[in-house]
Amino acid sequence: MALLELKNVTVHYGRIQAIHDMSFSVEEGEIVSLIGANGAGKTTTMQTISGLLNASGGSITFDGEDITKMKAHIRVVRGISQSPEGRRIFPGMTVLENLDMGAFGRRDRSKIAADFDRVFHLFPRLAERKTQLGGTMSGGEQQMLAIGRALMSVPRLLLLDEPSMGLAPQFIRQIFKIITEINEQGTTILLVEQNANQALARADRAFVLETGAITHSGSGKELLANPAIKEAYLGVG
Amino acid sequence: MSMVDGPKVSAGAESARLGADASSVRTTAKGTRTQRLRDRWNDLTRPQQWLWLIVVVVLAYLLPVLNIPILTTAPGNDWPLACFSMASFALIAVGLNIVVGYAGLLDLGYVAFFAVGSYTSAMLTSPDSPFLHIPYLWTIPVAMAVAMFFGVVLGIPTLRLRGDYLAIVTLGFGEIVRILATIIPAMKGQVGFQNVGRPPGVAADGIPIFANSNGTPWYWLTLTVILIVLLLVGNLERSRVGRAWVAIREDEDAAEIMGVPTFKYKVWAFAIGAAVGGLSGSLFAGQVGFVNNQKFDVQSSILFLAAVVLGGAGNKVGAVLGGALVAYIPLRFTAIADYKYLIFGIALVVIMIFRSKGLLPARQRLLAYGHQAYRRIVGKSDPLSQPPGALPPSVDPGAAVTR
Repeated sequence: MALLELKNVTVHYGRIQAIHDMSFSVEEGEIVSLIGANGAGKTTTMQTISGLLNASGGSITFDGEDITKMKAHIRVVRGISQSPEGRRIFPGMTVLENLDMGAFGRRDRSKIAADFDRVFHLFPRLAERKTQLGGTMSGGEQQMLAIGRALMSVPRLLLLDEPSMGLAPQFIRQIFKIITEINEQGTTILLVEQNANQALARADRAFVLETGAITHSGSGKELLANPAIKEAYLGVG
Repeated sequence: MSMVDGPKVSAGAESARLGADASSVRTTAKGTRTQRLRDRWNDLTRPQQWLWLIVVVVLAYLLPVLNIPILTTAPGNDWPLACFSMASFALIAVGLNIVVGYAGLLDLGYVAFFAVGSYTSAMLTSPDSPFLHIPYLWTIPVAMAVAMFFGVVLGIPTLRLRGDYLAIVTLGFGEIVRILATIIPAMKGQVGFQNVGRPPGVAADGIPIFANSNGTPWYWLTLTVILIVLLLVGNLERSRVGRAWVAIREDEDAAEIMGVPTFKYKVWAFAIGAAVGGLSGSLFAGQVGFVNNQKFDVQSSILFLAAVVLGGAGNKVGAVLGGALVAYIPLRFTAIADYKYLIFGIALVVIMIFRSKGLLPARQRLLAYGHQAYRRIVGKSDPLSQPPGALPPSVDPGAAVTR
């Protein structure tokens, strides 16, 4: 059984339909990438899965449970955590406070210390900046903080929305390396990216989104080799 | 006077927005004068802090008796009554600060809860009222409960709105309460309710201790209430609830995906804020002894908001200062009555220029929370008191990042 399954999901902004009849699934332990151009519906898809947006049709199932109508904050407790587009860290809180907010929904507060250590191990940079205000950090540091904060709820499924946005190439490679590491530690990852090259290279499976619908799917390597995708998204061809 | 009202109002509203959003431009507060003061305060031991607090509280209680020549509002206004007025505003500001300062919900109709509290106390004690009569002190918790109920009733439909939209709806609610008081016959419009009850007790000369003209006991009662409310609110802001509010203020969507039931916590902020508003309304009704529909206009709501912003949205001690100041300035300068609102406006503008985050900015509390969070979570020494660690020489990914 798939960890996450979307069946014929549609999403509307008012009267405008942003997602058409989308169906895909994510298996436990995978890295799945969604790639697509601006306005293809990547972030809308992510927000529908995390619960910030409501699907107007279809169903979303997580670990066998129908979560289509479930509130976002309950989905976090169920095990879905999101590092949102644009990072959205709390600017007036320190690194520590931001990370602590990530653990807000947890009942097992005694185990949180270990998760702080885990995040600081993945991102040593955050450990150096524990007391710095989130709003004063660089884009890359904020991205680390956003991912670290999302990990503090110990998710089963981690949604990463554009983790490479606005970052330098050298740092993008590093972020993707860490994403792979998080996955190897047992967290399933759904990744949304414009940086198709890295996203496909790291993904077990991938989907290409165009104007709110999936147009291609396959393993990351297959899609990397697909001439149409090469031309459209990889800047070669 | 209307010329002065214009800039005053817009300064208040504008800085309210700043108060809500300014966190994004906030930098580490090191080096500022407030920060040094704060550091010095944090360096004190717990007993030393308590000692200072006791001194301040004793001075606050002595305020109406001391009647310091430069500070006093006499002869234009009775000084003890002015003190009560300041305390009353301070209490309102503490309540509104929960809504605006902590949870970041811009409420332009807060006077409505103040009105609900006033009317509850008046209608349960005044001989003009046909309803059930109970002792005045019992009306205080009833007023809080009724105001809280209205807070929830207003909150549930409106707190799905955000920012400016919420502000407009709350503005409307404030007006609705005032207009209802005018058109519902039982609420007696401009005629109002006279001889509102007061706490029991008669002095040796046969005059009630809590007479309308006797400001000092009313001031002491209100100050005591403020101290109790501050203690409760302080506990609340250090709790899970307080953290949820700050997260909602900083970024509501992000808070939701951290697992914060944002709607529930916003309704709570509204309800608790409303209860404090009702409480202050009840005290006000008791002191003045007369309640009609004239006091509860939009201008009061804006003044309350100005008090919160002036004091530093998100800081409860700041709210007390801001509230006291907003009440004090017009009373102090009645001797030059024509200019009192001019002076008031100038004072607001000057304060917002030189202290744009309010007299006492909110960061203090967050830092305190950081200390605690770190101790609780890691159980090691506090990093906030250590100098920033040397960066490792090898990988420095953040430096390579383009913004």
